[in-house]
Amino acid sequence: MKTNQNLKTARPLHKRQIGWHLLMMLLVIIALVPVLFAFISSFKSMQELYNGSLLPSQITFDNYGEILSSLPIFKITLNTFIIAVTVTVFKVVTSTLAAYAFVFFDFKGKNVIYFFLICTIFIPFTVTMIPNYLTVSNLNLVDKIWGVVLPQLADASGIFLLRQTMKTVPRPLIEISHLDDISEMKILRNIIIPICRPAIISTGIIFFINSWNEYVWPTLILRSRENYTLSLAMQVFTDSEGGVEYTITLAMAVITMLLPLTLYLIFQKHIMSTFASSGIKG
Amino acid sequence: MKNIHKPAVSTSRPDRARKTGKFLRPYLFLFPAAAVLAIFMFYPLIYTIYLSFFDWNMVKPVKEFVGFANYINMFQDPNIQKILVNTFLYIFLLLIFNFVAPYIFSFILSFVIKKGKNFYRSSIFLPSVISLVAGTMIFVWILNPISGPAAKIMEAFGQKVPIWSTTQGLVIVVISIITSWKIFGYNFIVALSGVGSIPLEIIEAARVDNIPLHKIFLKIVVPMSSSTGIYVLILAIVQGMQQVFTPINMITQGGPDYGSSNLIYNVYNEAFGFYKTGSASAYAILMMLIFIFLLVLEFKYVEKGVYYEN
Repeated sequence: MKTNQNLKTARPLHKRQIGWHLLMMLLVIIALVPVLFAFISSFKSMQELYNGSLLPSQITFDNYGEILSSLPIFKITLNTFIIAVTVTVFKVVTSTLAAYAFVFFDFKGKNVIYFFLICTIFIPFTVTMIPNYLTVSNLNLVDKIWGVVLPQLADASGIFLLRQTMKTVPRPLIEISHLDDISEMKILRNIIIPICRPAIISTGIIFFINSWNEYVWPTLILRSRENYTLSLAMQVFTDSEGGVEYTITLAMAVITMLLPLTLYLIFQKHIMSTFASSGIKG
Repeated sequence: MKNIHKPAVSTSRPDRARKTGKFLRPYLFLFPAAAVLAIFMFYPLIYTIYLSFFDWNMVKPVKEFVGFANYINMFQDPNIQKILVNTFLYIFLLLIFNFVAPYIFSFILSFVIKKGKNFYRSSIFLPSVISLVAGTMIFVWILNPISGPAAKIMEAFGQKVPIWSTTQGLVIVVISIITSWKIFGYNFIVALSGVGSIPLEIIEAARVDNIPLHKIFLKIVVPMSSSTGIYVLILAIVQGMQQVFTPINMITQGGPDYGSSNLIYNVYNEAFGFYKTGSASAYAILMMLIFIFLLVLEFKYVEKGVYYEN
């Protein structure tokens, strides 16, 4: 009786797989189509975009040419890159050092300090925005890329992610090194960093991509076009009434997406596993 | 920090020096991160609370102390009701799109579907690496009511895309969808890490017993992955509410008539639109209190440890 019933359900279950796959495919389409769409449309003329044909009958590079001639796009890309690299390097270094302290030392106030640092992940930017703007302004860093960088030299989510990974390093290994009087920097360089390299790299890539895509804070700090980042340049082709030069804007979107997408395609596995580990609380 | 005293004959003094060195060491490692977070997170938090009791415009040399006037004015602001209702509508929609949906889909991917898991995972995650500014502009075109692709498709069915950016209510739905396009994948991956760690045998056993999928999900999966679940819930609200700022600022600037504004956007608007640091700070603190309430909720549940994956 029981086996019979199982047999009965076995077939419909298998059939039902197709339905589930269709559902998942729908998600995939929603995720990917806008990206493909931007790529294709950026090679269309305005006229063809409005015609609604799927593929351009003639590929045009005019949209990219227009960006080149109307914006200091190389300077803007360089600004975005410098900000993202600086922010990433600092965040990774400060997070690695802090995570090391939390995992391999016992000290007074450890849990309290950890709790407070992690709380900063949940502080909305609106709460820190005005005082940080005033600080940056007092340092004369408004409209300078360093004004964007300055408040972002550390990140509690990096401490969290790297702490998770460092916990997997065998503690006796570090304790023996301590007894042998090996300097902390040597321990970090020769033991910790090699073991945690995948996690450090993907945390770094995540920081880089997030900084590359950042919008709110640069909007407040940067004013003149030659100091813009790519995110800010996206709105240059929208006029004050909301009219948008769509083909050029979509070409701008492609330029902005290019580097993060390339990094993602290369480091996909690393990034996924690091993101996933952030879900498991420890 | 280096042991330059090593060759000394008497060991007592260097030993002590080494001991205090050792005692200070973890703090030295913490210092760079802690200093930055103190200066650019905790100090601003306190300063914002301070500013909420003053009338100021960022330029005037003197800040005028006004007590609770900013808070009282905030609750008498004719727009406060709209802003609060919108805020909760955003939170509700973000929860559906970025907590409920990823949770269910992570269950489907982990235990219902057998093939193509990696493909689904990496495709669905992909928008998470794309700038929301770019995503917003792409969607503004796709959903353009006159000539965008969505309008073209609707036209074939004799339908029209409403002018959503000026339609009360609908504008919030569309902005939430655009934001969710970017953040769904991230929450999905995090949910997957919790749901995916439930032992397969448990789910298989339930399926052999012919327990319907929705029951397996509600009675087994949700309780067994609750700590990750609550984390995703908080992510959906805290991250979602901050991300939603980008499309609001790019498309509507809070309009029509505060129709798409929320607490976060309103803080920005009061501060950098009207230069009213006092009321901006009061709104910021209100938002913070709502977040703290949600956080306490999370810690209460996680500390209780309804169920830990490992």
